[in-house]
Amino acid sequence: MKAATLRGTSITARVGLALGVAVAVCFVTGLISHFIQHPQPWFFWPTRPVWLYRVTQGLHVISGIAAIPLIIVKLWSVWPKLFERPVIGGLVRQIERLSILVLVGSMLFQLSTGLLNIAQWYAFKFFFTTSHYAMAYVAAGAVLVHIGVKLPILRRALGEPVDDTPASVGPTRRTVLRATWLAVALATVVTAGQTVPLLRKVSVLAPRSGQGPQGVPINRSAIAAGVLGSAQSPDYRLTVTNGPTSRAFSLADLQAMPQATHRLPIACVEGWSADAEWTGVVVGDLVAAVGGSRDSDVRMISLEPPGPYSRTVLPARHVRDGKTLIALKLNGQTLDLDHGYPCRLIAPTRPGVLQTKWLSRIEVVP
Amino acid sequence: MRIALVLLGVVLGAYGAVLLWENPPVIITRIVVWALVGVVLNDMVFAPVCVALGFAGRRLIPGKWWPPVAVATFLSVVLVFLAIPVYGKPGLRPDNMTVLDRNYPLGLWISLGIVWACVPLYYLAMRRLPVRQDEVVEQESTDDVERQPPAV
Repeated sequence: MKAATLRGTSITARVGLALGVAVAVCFVTGLISHFIQHPQPWFFWPTRPVWLYRVTQGLHVISGIAAIPLIIVKLWSVWPKLFERPVIGGLVRQIERLSILVLVGSMLFQLSTGLLNIAQWYAFKFFFTTSHYAMAYVAAGAVLVHIGVKLPILRRALGEPVDDTPASVGPTRRTVLRATWLAVALATVVTAGQTVPLLRKVSVLAPRSGQGPQGVPINRSAIAAGVLGSAQSPDYRLTVTNGPTSRAFSLADLQAMPQATHRLPIACVEGWSADAEWTGVVVGDLVAAVGGSRDSDVRMISLEPPGPYSRTVLPARHVRDGKTLIALKLNGQTLDLDHGYPCRLIAPTRPGVLQTKWLSRIEVVP
Repeated sequence: MRIALVLLGVVLGAYGAVLLWENPPVIITRIVVWALVGVVLNDMVFAPVCVALGFAGRRLIPGKWWPPVAVATFLSVVLVFLAIPVYGKPGLRPDNMTVLDRNYPLGLWISLGIVWACVPLYYLAMRRLPVRQDEVVEQESTDDVERQPPAV
């Protein structure tokens, strides 16, 4: 029968190799994003180039989406193995089958939850970040075990030519491979525009068009954060503290300080990003105003009631950086309420979720 | 090398399992069910449908049209998968109009239209472009072979 001959190790190995590369990129970029948000003493994250996180997190989502057509073809190419006999077999065979179950289950879990998450569709009733993070290790581990078990087959199949002889008129294995690469390209083109400006118009299935107030999309709105009143209050003050030293800045005080303008991307964990021109006070100047050390981390606290991202810690390396701003303006206009009016943090190479909006307090961490 | 890969894989996987185990039982159940439903949907629904489509397609669609049609069908499946979370905008929240801010039905239909428009174009191109002799032979089926020349 035709279908039996069209499937083959030559396809499985090649698509599997591409899938392995996509998974590796996804895993590494995902870990980078995790450790930026949960810093470890050994973890080093530079402040240059300013677009570094934009690229790593953009790649995370792009490689994850590219893995979807790859896994479809990969699973199609090995589906008959599901019915191979013996169904039960010995202990080794059971372990192998179990490892494949873990592999397929964890991979489909990662790709499906990731795809839903970038569209903010929380159809699953578990917390996305922690489960996606934990399952990433399961998936990566299962992939390594799978490669370890299949390595001789993989090597042999990659060394042999793709069988190009059709059993009858119809697609060849080469056609299947070309179609796979075409599908990867198509999936990338229709979604990657949310982070690659050149593709913006053709990415018809991207969750973000790149539009938003002042030309930049948002993730958390002022309404959702519950800051409509406090952010627009005439009594608003930004309090900067260093131990017992404390200073309160009104918006006019901040505007009277030396202003810097920098072009920095805002890059979301969900894989979209946008370049913008931010104007405001250099964070280092505010820290210096309360006598803070250049080697101290700084805590950014939002007007937003306590929640997972209402307070974040900015590492000393980013505090020292001259491009790290407390922004008052975005693309030449007073910061929109949804972008964090009266003022927000914008630092190079940081995930958007850590660029704290509606700042109320900046504390130098002792 | 192989043993090292397997061992490293087991350690990584076990670490992931430990992280998952930190969840309350009801959450662990939901996570495991989500993963298993994915496997069952692939093995018991998606794969058999693909086989049925392939089986029917090979018989119903003329031989030379079948490869481009099969490829277009596969590309359509990928597009539909990518469209599922955005098509009806299930994640839309009224306070943030910068998410899911495209006309996804239009985008999906246009992209499907382009994919399927390529099928006749491919067919025509294949007929017009010069082909190598061996490819011609490979593409031929038993029907293409001429009958025995008449005996002189």
